[in-house]
Amino acid sequence: MTSIKAGAAQATGERGRREALNESRVWHVFARRKYEEPLHEIGNVMADDVELAQVYARSIYDEFSWVEMVLVPRDAIVTVIAS
Amino acid sequence: MATTLVDNAALFTILSSLADNKQTIGRRYAFWCNGAPALEAAVAAAAMTQDELGHARTLYPLLADFAQGQADLSQLDPMTRTLHHHLSYLDHDFRGWSDFVATNFLLDTALTTFFEAAQNSSYEPLRQRSRKIVQEERVHFMHAEGWVRRLAKAGGAVRATLIASLQRLWDETLCWFGPQDDPIMLRLYNEGIIDAMPDELRHRYLRKIMPILNELNIDVPVAFDATTKRWMPGQSLPWETWGVLARRTGET
Repeated sequence: MTSIKAGAAQATGERGRREALNESRVWHVFARRKYEEPLHEIGNVMADDVELAQVYARSIYDEFSWVEMVLVPRDAIVTVIAS
Repeated sequence: MATTLVDNAALFTILSSLADNKQTIGRRYAFWCNGAPALEAAVAAAAMTQDELGHARTLYPLLADFAQGQADLSQLDPMTRTLHHHLSYLDHDFRGWSDFVATNFLLDTALTTFFEAAQNSSYEPLRQRSRKIVQEERVHFMHAEGWVRRLAKAGGAVRATLIASLQRLWDETLCWFGPQDDPIMLRLYNEGIIDAMPDELRHRYLRKIMPILNELNIDVPVAFDATTKRWMPGQSLPWETWGVLARRTGET
């Protein structure tokens, strides 16, 4: 029983550590391949700070040679119409 | 057609060490491409792995241009090379994600400091590569800084594990630049291959990382001379076990 408890405690500890590192902020990623094109949403990343969000966006959405890529934090978006 | 070989043992030594460190960092990073704490971090780890192996791949071929490399051609190719002039910290797999973060933050930033000092190098192949590497490493440093902050601010065991990783790598990283009278760095400096001697390189390096560590209240053995505004190691480095050719500790 002791070992099961110890194992459960360890698992809880591991989960706690992982939860402590969970990213909670969503960033929408917009990019364009040509200057004459508008920016369009290509996906999103989760990161707690803007620097890591930039690193993640660059590495995840690297399928094209973008001329521009920007991030918008989801919590900065103001909803005007919601149905 | 015979080409003229470069005869410069000091430069050959440093290029070998840079290539071995980059190659081994890439291999260690690769292990974390599917083991990082978050999917985004894993993808970034994969991209950084590619970058590091790419840096190594541009450096190893230069060794073939040196007279010092002709004695044993098998040492010029990472696939057949048996010499390992990377830091002893990289001898084994990382113990955890904090080792990845520490390597990126401390060691890779130290190597970048060297490449920055070689951006106007009199040795053209290094000059070209340095500029490209410095450019790519900006993103790596953003990743390093972000993760050092995250792990430090998580507190508890997470913070303690990060600090342990930083401490294990600290001295050996500072040693890599060599002692101030390092004959290898002295020759590179005198020949215009780099623009600074070891103490100045260490100062430039510490100037980059110390504001972050200070902000996070992470204690490391450094000193700051308020008069000269220069950073330096706060305690003597383990030169007695450091090898000038392999540029790693555990050599004696």
